Amino acid sequence: MNNFSSALWAETLKMYRSKVPLFTALGFSVMPLVGGLFMIILKNPDAAQSMGLITTKAQLLAGTADWPAFFGFLAQAVAAGGMVLFAIITIWVFGREFSDHTVKELLALPTSREAIVTAKFIIIPIWSMIVTLLVFAVGIVVGILVVIPGWSEQLLITSFINILGSAALTIPLMSLVALLASAGRGYLPPFGWTIFTLAMANLAAILGWGDWFPWAVPALFSGAAGPRDELLGIHSYMVVILTSLIGLAATYWWWRNADQTR
Amino acid sequence: MDYTIETNGLSKFYGDVRAVDSVDLRVKQGEIYGFLGLNGAGKTTTIRALLGMIRPSEGNVKVLGQALGQGGRGPWARVGHLVEKPSAYPELSVRENLEVARRLQGMDKAKATSKVIERLGLAPYAERKAGTLSTGNLQRLGLARALLHDPQLLILDEPANGLDPAGVVEIRDLLRGLTHNQGTTVFMSSHILTEVDRLATRIGIIHQGRLIEELDADKLEQLRARHLTIKTRDLGAAIKALESAGYSTLSDYDDLIRLNDPRAVEAPDEVAEILVHAGAPPIHLAVEQENLEEHFLRLTNDTSLREVT
Repeated sequence: MNNFSSALWAETLKMYRSKVPLFTALGFSVMPLVGGLFMIILKNPDAAQSMGLITTKAQLLAGTADWPAFFGFLAQAVAAGGMVLFAIITIWVFGREFSDHTVKELLALPTSREAIVTAKFIIIPIWSMIVTLLVFAVGIVVGILVVIPGWSEQLLITSFINILGSAALTIPLMSLVALLASAGRGYLPPFGWTIFTLAMANLAAILGWGDWFPWAVPALFSGAAGPRDELLGIHSYMVVILTSLIGLAATYWWWRNADQTR
Repeated sequence: MDYTIETNGLSKFYGDVRAVDSVDLRVKQGEIYGFLGLNGAGKTTTIRALLGMIRPSEGNVKVLGQALGQGGRGPWARVGHLVEKPSAYPELSVRENLEVARRLQGMDKAKATSKVIERLGLAPYAERKAGTLSTGNLQRLGLARALLHDPQLLILDEPANGLDPAGVVEIRDLLRGLTHNQGTTVFMSSHILTEVDRLATRIGIIHQGRLIEELDADKLEQLRARHLTIKTRDLGAAIKALESAGYSTLSDYDDLIRLNDPRAVEAPDEVAEILVHAGAPPIHLAVEQENLEEHFLRLTNDTSLREVT
């Protein structure tokens, strides 16, 4: 346990000193700002059009200028953007050990490889959730500043569940990204995988198989495509858990058994 | 007898490539073992196998009397290592990099970090980000990490890489001091043969994945080929006289003659007499011994030739 706390301390220090958390936070914070911009456009379509801003795009993505639409947009953005941003976090946490050739300093230690991998798998959800909460908080501030109607406490709670639930369903899927960052020894294979799963999730949702496709489940959960009770079943959550467990097991196995030549 | 490092039939195959082939290593406590080989000979693969970073295709590895287990488990709290080029977290300072290593080593003594920083001459760079270090200082950081926990065994891949001449001498003295004062065992690979020659108490030569020679440094002294080098003003007359005197191996270079014949090495005075009588007195006559570099090249060339024929 002492070894595990050392590994967690090391991962926290690496994250704290890195610029990647800042960049991911900034990247994610763009979403509520874009949402706010859409709200302004929808509130003043004539003025926005005369300034050259596209009202059609805003209408397609957000609909009307009110809190339900704004939170809906945020949930949609977290579901799609989270898949990419959480992947960037995961790719950095695992892949940097290979691209910086520091992995060889983690293998022959009294601290087990399992403890190191576990610490990484703990730091990723913490970091991802902090970024998600930041989006939510920035979203509320932007919404208040833009002044839109339709606020209610119930809406706040529902939106909080939608956004954080969507993030909570996306994060477990990162275990396969971690596996590819490790086995692929760097950044490109897991990034390619992320883009591939994102495209396939869209396709699966269009074909109506989204409830069976783990990477489509977070977006369907977000409520952006309709009430989630109609779109998802227990099996949908099970495939997410199963996919996540496969990724976790394979990543632990790989760190334990694969030849490390970096 | 318990060896600090023991491998039995250690082999690593990558498809048809035999990176390491049936290597039996025996390293005793307190030895400085110089592990020599050309690029691609199998040095780093062997070192990685000793550290449990790769699984042997065949054979087994024991380190400090403990067989390496699943998931690379081994007595790592007592082993320090530096594998290939040194690496560090670029966004962390030198001190933070060593703090990470100290904690992952499970060490409670916080002072160990400052101590090793002083020992490796890293004090002026302690708060500097590792990403800004020169190659030499990065190498020092790698060595500091290896020495941080006062290990009983040091496994070092090219420890002198990137160091300036003063740094090379400093590290040599440091390693020698560790073996003399603390009984630390050092297993080091190097391509700087003079370094190995000066430091190692035992030498192993790996070539094309196989350990082709393993011997004590004292024994190597005896095995090194000796020859008689002659300079004379009349090279032609000297060669003619020596040939007619029956010296079997005769090599003439631009301005000197080299005799590998044991008779010439044992009795250079007789050679001098022949040359004086032939009217080509020697202006330089010396029994010379090949250095480790020549010995190494002769050995690896011989093996390569045997492979071909």
